[in-house]
Amino acid sequence: MMRAALALVVLLAFAAAAAAAPSGQPIRIGGTLALTGPLAPTALLHKIAGEIYVEELNKANGLLGRPVEWVLLDDQSKPELARSLYEKLITVDKVDLIIGPYATSGILAAMGVAQRYNKVYVHHSFGMPHLAKYEMHFPTAAFGPEPNKTVPTTVFDAVAATSKPPKSVAIVTSKFPSAQFQSNGAKEVAEKRGLKVPLYLEYEFGTRDWGAIAARVKDANADLLWIGALGLDGNQLLEAMKKLDYTPPRHFHLFPAPGPLVAAPDGKNALSVTVFEEHPPFMNNPGAAKFVPIFKERAAKANVPYTAIETQVGGSFAAWQVLEAGVTATKSLDDKAIGAWLRKNRVDTIIGKLRFDGPNNYGDDLFKVKQVQDGKWVVVWPREFTAPGARLQPQ
Amino acid sequence: MTERVRVVVTLIAVALALACLPLVGLPAFYESFLYLVFHWIALATSWSILSGYAGYFSFGHGAFFGAGVYTTTTLAAAYDVPFLVTLPVAALVAALLSAGIGAVVFRVKRLRGELFGLLTLAITFVLATIVLNTRLDGGPGVYLSNVPLPRLVGSPTGTFYLLALALATGTLITAYLVTRARLGLGLYAIHDDEDVAEVEGVPTFAYKLIAFAISAGVAGIAGGIYAMYVSYVTVGDTFSVTVPLYVVLMSVLGGARHWLGPAVGAALITASLYTFTSGQQAILGRAIVAFVLVLVILLLPAGVVATVLGWRRRRADVSAASATGGAEARGGSSGDWRTRGREAASQSEFGAADPPRASAPPVALQCEDVWRAFGGIQALRGVSLRVEPGEIVGLVGPNGSGKTTLINVISGHYTLDRGRITLGGDDLAARPAHEIAGLGISRTYQIPRPFAQLTALDNVAVAATFGAARCALGEARDEAWHWLEFTGLARRASALPHELNLHERKFLELARALAGRPRVILLDEVLSGLTPAEIASAITLVREIRARGVAILFVEHLMRAVLELSDRVVVLNEGEVIAEGAPREAMRAPRVIDVYLGKTQAHVVA
Repeated sequence: MMRAALALVVLLAFAAAAAAAPSGQPIRIGGTLALTGPLAPTALLHKIAGEIYVEELNKANGLLGRPVEWVLLDDQSKPELARSLYEKLITVDKVDLIIGPYATSGILAAMGVAQRYNKVYVHHSFGMPHLAKYEMHFPTAAFGPEPNKTVPTTVFDAVAATSKPPKSVAIVTSKFPSAQFQSNGAKEVAEKRGLKVPLYLEYEFGTRDWGAIAARVKDANADLLWIGALGLDGNQLLEAMKKLDYTPPRHFHLFPAPGPLVAAPDGKNALSVTVFEEHPPFMNNPGAAKFVPIFKERAAKANVPYTAIETQVGGSFAAWQVLEAGVTATKSLDDKAIGAWLRKNRVDTIIGKLRFDGPNNYGDDLFKVKQVQDGKWVVVWPREFTAPGARLQPQ
Repeated sequence: MTERVRVVVTLIAVALALACLPLVGLPAFYESFLYLVFHWIALATSWSILSGYAGYFSFGHGAFFGAGVYTTTTLAAAYDVPFLVTLPVAALVAALLSAGIGAVVFRVKRLRGELFGLLTLAITFVLATIVLNTRLDGGPGVYLSNVPLPRLVGSPTGTFYLLALALATGTLITAYLVTRARLGLGLYAIHDDEDVAEVEGVPTFAYKLIAFAISAGVAGIAGGIYAMYVSYVTVGDTFSVTVPLYVVLMSVLGGARHWLGPAVGAALITASLYTFTSGQQAILGRAIVAFVLVLVILLLPAGVVATVLGWRRRRADVSAASATGGAEARGGSSGDWRTRGREAASQSEFGAADPPRASAPPVALQCEDVWRAFGGIQALRGVSLRVEPGEIVGLVGPNGSGKTTLINVISGHYTLDRGRITLGGDDLAARPAHEIAGLGISRTYQIPRPFAQLTALDNVAVAATFGAARCALGEARDEAWHWLEFTGLARRASALPHELNLHERKFLELARALAGRPRVILLDEVLSGLTPAEIASAITLVREIRARGVAILFVEHLMRAVLELSDRVVVLNEGEVIAEGAPREAMRAPRVIDVYLGKTQAHVVA
């Protein structure tokens, strides 16, 4: 009896496996990433996320019962090459679907190609929503159509809810397009809210001499410092201010490299924004519980210095989820059908519910405020998304 | 059909054939790929027009490319100027920018070599800063998708392909014609030794300016097309090091001195970049490409094209040698070699052969009260002398007496501080060196300074082209050939200077000085280092030159030659004329003996 039951279990297991295994011609999804060149360190995160997603997809039932093959090309961080390689993917490799490259310039260069060939174009890291006019582009950089207004509003709301709401904000920003765009918006939002802006300063992308900027920030002595930072900008500015014996009461970093800010003593209480952190309620989002440990393991193997999942990886994973949702819902690889479905429906992803029916196909701003506390990033605003026990510091 | 017409017609025919590609119905990717190939061909070839031919290694091509990008972007996006109309404006803006920079930089002698490279790199950063901090961009980048693209063919990609093809073809034709024109010969001479080129009559400043403007203008158009191709331009992407780095790499790989070299390099590198775009081998692929490039550049320093042409030429030499019964390719049979040399001259890079032209009427050289100082050292103190047509004046004096300085001042290499130098009725004082050469003054150098990468024949052809002879390009080589025969160097016509011995290099200096058909020749220690037999033949040669009515100022330490050759002698000491007259009388003057032998000996001799 026991033996028969065991045999039945084994048989059922095999049958289930056979039913789940995708078969037939693979569905080919083409895309490029900046695997070499200056954008490569971040693009690597998107590569790992995509590989895991496709593997997991194929471990299950693939797409429409067919295995999925990711045709990934290296655009070498060059927008002109991205454009040309998407033409290759579509006209020579004749992939079934495409998925966007990494970073604004490449995404925009390839968007024209997608538009000419009427391809659904899901992408994950586009910073200038007002420039994306194609009706079948679907962004998962989920900051809504006007991040220059909504992101600063979220940040100012967060600090306004503390016991010492700031009355002034000093804004320094990189001239990197998306950072400058949002920081410029922050100035307008601050002024509309009645906050004083004693300093608005733009510095060139790649600035290394922070002494003069730090002195200006110290002179401004504002209650909140908004840094339109990229990468290590914030760390370097904090260090320069420390040499002047100055620590800003609160400091916000727009696009920081998350690892170094956590690691640096100066980064204590640093604020930033995110769509995903590795704690509830985000870990309850679709795919999170399974994806997070695999990603951390793979990222560590690939020598990624900071393996926690946040905005970049979350957006990347969500892009695949959106594409899968479109294909599964329409049971088709027809771009027009998928595009039409995506414009009408919400997709529940690892970073939250995405919709694409707003201006330029943007939906809600899903960005939350996070803060470095006890050596890690935790979400501190809005309240319904805060990490267990976390509150924005100082109160 | 001349070679020039044949090459241009071939290039146009190939371009027209390639222009039909969009009609074949190939996938758009191939047009896109070829767009990038032609884009880089235009950029690399244009870079080489200044940097390859003239040796002014620029890291600033990105600045002119960027100027084109933002000219098209600003005009098309902000002022609704039709895209195609923006392209010539982009060329003009980039060319004017380069001309403005060149007008300042090319006047400063010390801004050559690596300093020029660094300066041009700095210009890129300065321009990027200006664009970033003005309404040209301001930081957020500029979006061009709303700018209408004219449809030259069915697809936008086809349109970009045709535009880049036209630009690359135009650039290649321009580069080819430049190398076959006076401009190209002058640029090659500048590359090898700019000071000598100027003294040989090459208008170095104007030529560099023209080359820079052509080079930048093409980069400007390439930038304008590129802006529309990527449709979103940012300062970071536009002014990155990619453009300057790639054009240098492509040109060096293909061969920067040959008109076709950069195009070959551009095609190879662009193709290799595409070969390794697969996501799984991206990093390994880039590493392999980089390794291969390093190897090729190390093994083929002159570039792929020059190396291949060299192989072909050597094979042709070997075949010719076997066809003539195994005679050595060089110097084995002088008759055969000269014949082949003549043929080579008539099929030369710079034109066909014609008979030598006549010299201008002879005139006298007159120096009056010439002064020249270097810092606190007064090198010339009121030197006056005169050299009549057909006269040999020996200029002697101990080391440091100012002989070579005087030659440098007369030839325009140095300006004079005070005084007057005339040739016939022409005042030379305020003229640049190339104008002085054009009026009929040639010189040799104490240590020969041939153009190192030009053959002996082309070395002499430079003087024939730019000196007083003002040979048309068609005549220059035949003129050069004539003077190589005159100096006994005809057998070495196709040799490079480093292949010549000292005696031959000295005579090459002479041939070069004579090829300009000068009215005055300044010979600076032309006999030093020669054997007695060589000295004897040189003396004969100088006499023959004099017999043609040329005035000769002859600096020499070898007293036997001075006494034997000179009609008169001028003795300099510490920048002053201390004696002048018939050779033996002048050399016996007590002050001269005093200077050469010391006061005691002067007394004894007197």
